[in-house]
Amino acid sequence: MAQILLDNLSLTFTLRQHARITFKEWVVRRLTGRTVNAAIEVQAIKNLSLDIRKGERLGIIGHNGAGKSTLLKVLAGIYPPTSGRITVEGNISSLFEISLGFEQDATGWENIYYRGYLQGETPQTIKAKVQPIAEFSELGHFLDMPVRYYSAGMKVRLAFSIATAIEPEILLVDEVLSVGDMAFHEKASKRMREMMAKAQLIVVVSHDLESIVKLCHRAVWMDHGRMRMIGTPREVADAYIRSVGLPVAKAA
Amino acid sequence: MLAYMQAIWRCRYFWASLVKMDLRTRYRRSILGMGWSLLHPIAMTIIFCLVFQHLMMPEEGAAKYAPFLLAGFATWNFIVTSTLQGCQCFFNGEAYIRQYPAPMAIYPLRTALGGLIHFLIALVVVLLTVWVLHGFGNLLVIWVLIPNMVLLFAFAWSLAILAGLANVYFQDTQHLCEVGFQILLYVTPIIYNAKLLRSRGLGWLSDYNPFAAFLDLIREPVLEGKLPSLEMYAMACGTLVVVAGAAIFTLGRCQRRLVFQL
Repeated sequence: MAQILLDNLSLTFTLRQHARITFKEWVVRRLTGRTVNAAIEVQAIKNLSLDIRKGERLGIIGHNGAGKSTLLKVLAGIYPPTSGRITVEGNISSLFEISLGFEQDATGWENIYYRGYLQGETPQTIKAKVQPIAEFSELGHFLDMPVRYYSAGMKVRLAFSIATAIEPEILLVDEVLSVGDMAFHEKASKRMREMMAKAQLIVVVSHDLESIVKLCHRAVWMDHGRMRMIGTPREVADAYIRSVGLPVAKAA
Repeated sequence: MLAYMQAIWRCRYFWASLVKMDLRTRYRRSILGMGWSLLHPIAMTIIFCLVFQHLMMPEEGAAKYAPFLLAGFATWNFIVTSTLQGCQCFFNGEAYIRQYPAPMAIYPLRTALGGLIHFLIALVVVLLTVWVLHGFGNLLVIWVLIPNMVLLFAFAWSLAILAGLANVYFQDTQHLCEVGFQILLYVTPIIYNAKLLRSRGLGWLSDYNPFAAFLDLIREPVLEGKLPSLEMYAMACGTLVVVAGAAIFTLGRCQRRLVFQL
């Protein structure tokens, strides 16, 4: 029974003006009476309440820096909320920055195993999936080479193939709907739709409003950390487009 | 606590594959491969044997001094590399931490396990050397190495956790540890026997040195063929309780918000 419940959730990042100061600087600043390392508070998410049930596909749209990816990371359990409650029932699979976490000196095959284990596969389950992943990526003999020699597009192909070889209960997708070259893009979109059909609950972040409208049941518009609007994807997308000052396309 | 250990066990394939990958990466372009991990303690042993044997252990001869040195260096290197590499473990795992919520202890575990593998290789060489040079006094006693190694591993893992967490918040930790271990190397009976300290009234440097206790847990069964004394076990277990307790406490407090510090 997949479900996500957010109750008045807030997340505040406390950043320091300087990432790290040396001990000498610290002493000098204390002695000269200046504030040692000013704290900057960034309220990434403000009082968000949301109830996502099984079978639902939710889209999240908003401007850059609105807190969409941060919200996904909170849902995935990577960032703990500063206040409020989050309840997640079901196994979470996430597609975030999919090129992260490659071991550069390992070959493509080895990385399939590493990323597979990261996603929770066991040696038995991954063995069955290695060939389909390799075929989907269409990288052929390049898989025998260390990943450091791959082009950016090849890394994306491999990462996408591995990341989508799972059967998720709850799927969190962060702007990976548009990947690779044109031929791969078609395959990738089809694979995403298959995955979404299998998942029980999906939360998608995307700037591609049309795909949100096509794929999702509900949409949320995040604005500076707050949920500005929630409703059908068409309503929310139109409201967002209007707020940006662009004309809304007439329905076909 | 138990739930945490179960969570670590559940992602065992992930951290096991990371350990394997670390080993492979380290020796990927090298000819000797894993042999290099032995070269440091063996080289140190040869040098110290040649130069210091008469000074440090005149009455026992190289046949006793060389394995003594090798066992000491192997154990010492395990503890030191676990701590120093542990300082970087959360930075090295940053990409994974940002993607996948796993128990944070698996990143220092990865470091400690890598060190353990190198330690085991060196230990095999020590056992072979002892067997060739003067045979084992009491073979049964060797089996006590297994629980002793468990204690040593728990100690190394706890140190790696503490070092890793401290280094995220204060990046000077690694440098402090390097200096600290340099000093400890000469203050702990690794190059010389504890008898040398006691004969000069400095026995307390060894008796109250927690690292010396762990070293003796490995050295006593192998070199002397007898069980380590109760004092050694008490010292080692006491240190382990304190360090592991500190590690568990700090981990519990810091691990959820650690991602914000990276």
